[in-house]
Amino acid sequence: MFCRIRRKTTSFCTNQQIYIFIYEVENLKLFSNTINTLENALNYSSTKQKVIAQNISNADTPGYKAKNVSFKSELNDAMSTVTGKQTNSKHIAIQSSGRAGVTITTDRTTSYNHTGNNVDIDKEMSDLATNQIYYNAMIERISGKFNSLQTVIKGGR
Amino acid sequence: MSIFHSINTSASALTAQRLRMDVISSNMANVDTAGYRRKSVVLQPKEGNFSSFMSQAMSKQTTGAGNGVKVSKIVEDTETPFKLVYDPEHPDSDENGYVELPNVDPLREMVDLISATRSYEANVTVMNASKGMLMKALEIGK
Amino acid sequence: MTISIPSVSKVFQSNAAISTPSTTPYEAQKSFASVLKDSIEKVNEAQNQSDVMTEKLARGENVDLHQVMIASQKASITMSATIEVRNKVIEAYQEVMRMQV
Repeated sequence: MFCRIRRKTTSFCTNQQIYIFIYEVENLKLFSNTINTLENALNYSSTKQKVIAQNISNADTPGYKAKNVSFKSELNDAMSTVTGKQTNSKHIAIQSSGRAGVTITTDRTTSYNHTGNNVDIDKEMSDLATNQIYYNAMIERISGKFNSLQTVIKGGR
Repeated sequence: MSIFHSINTSASALTAQRLRMDVISSNMANVDTAGYRRKSVVLQPKEGNFSSFMSQAMSKQTTGAGNGVKVSKIVEDTETPFKLVYDPEHPDSDENGYVELPNVDPLREMVDLISATRSYEANVTVMNASKGMLMKALEIGK
Repeated sequence: MTISIPSVSKVFQSNAAISTPSTTPYEAQKSFASVLKDSIEKVNEAQNQSDVMTEKLARGENVDLHQVMIASQKASITMSATIEVRNKVIEAYQEVMRMQV
């Protein structure tokens, strides 16, 4: 939990010189960057699970090319933050689409058998196991962070 | 693309593999039936319907994970020829005494059966993994 | 050696000038009120976001389960934090009021 505290004003009590400082709280950020990172990791892991399910279900479909998930590259990230300029309040806002940082790509370059299918079932099964553990770990961590925030806010009760 | 998307994908694969096994068992059952042509399934990736495309376009969800597999059609194998067996006393024999036995090769059917079983098991594993992940996500904050 | 009174009073004045910036008590109260209003709006926004996500989940629309859970946790924590801050401020106010003048 971060807050920057800055002394804003002082004021006097008329009879005695009691300074009452009123502190202004600036930028109260309850949720740290770690929680943001964990959220992005969960988005990635959930998308990867969908892609793995799709690949395994199409493991013997002729002509099917395996899909893969990757984080968006820096360039795509910069390009995707284009927002439309609204000179009139009635203009529709153009926003970047797609989730933060995750894209699905298709690998058309390889082919493992004569039917044109390039799903490597062993790789997919091991990716499945890895992804499960990764997802569970992210859930545990983010749950732990939320619980510690709760404990801090409730003052140790 | 709801929370059950990957479970639906795996379910579609289970349906397709079960249908494939049904066709294989039908082939095996009819291995001695004269005039029976071997059947096989054609698998295709399943496309989404309009509402799923619409909801993907309107929200910020990642698009394009796909929707699983479906059996597009069941075809008869017309390329391999019938096995002609000379048996004039058979009720189905033609004028030369030959009977057209099915072009079903039991060995090939058994291999297909094993492949279908393995795919089915793999998809069951995926479905259990997806379900485990969803149950774990429900425990955030407990 | 006598210290000239005007210079001493000028020093006192300059000290007073350093320790009392130009905002008045009225402006201080207004900025605190705006900070409070800001944080209440944030709580409302977080609760609304959590509600929207939950409705989407209930209707089976385009949302991930972990997103719903995280949004609901964030709303709950923001609410708890604001309530605790409110409690502390009220406690501080009551403490000040109890002071013997």
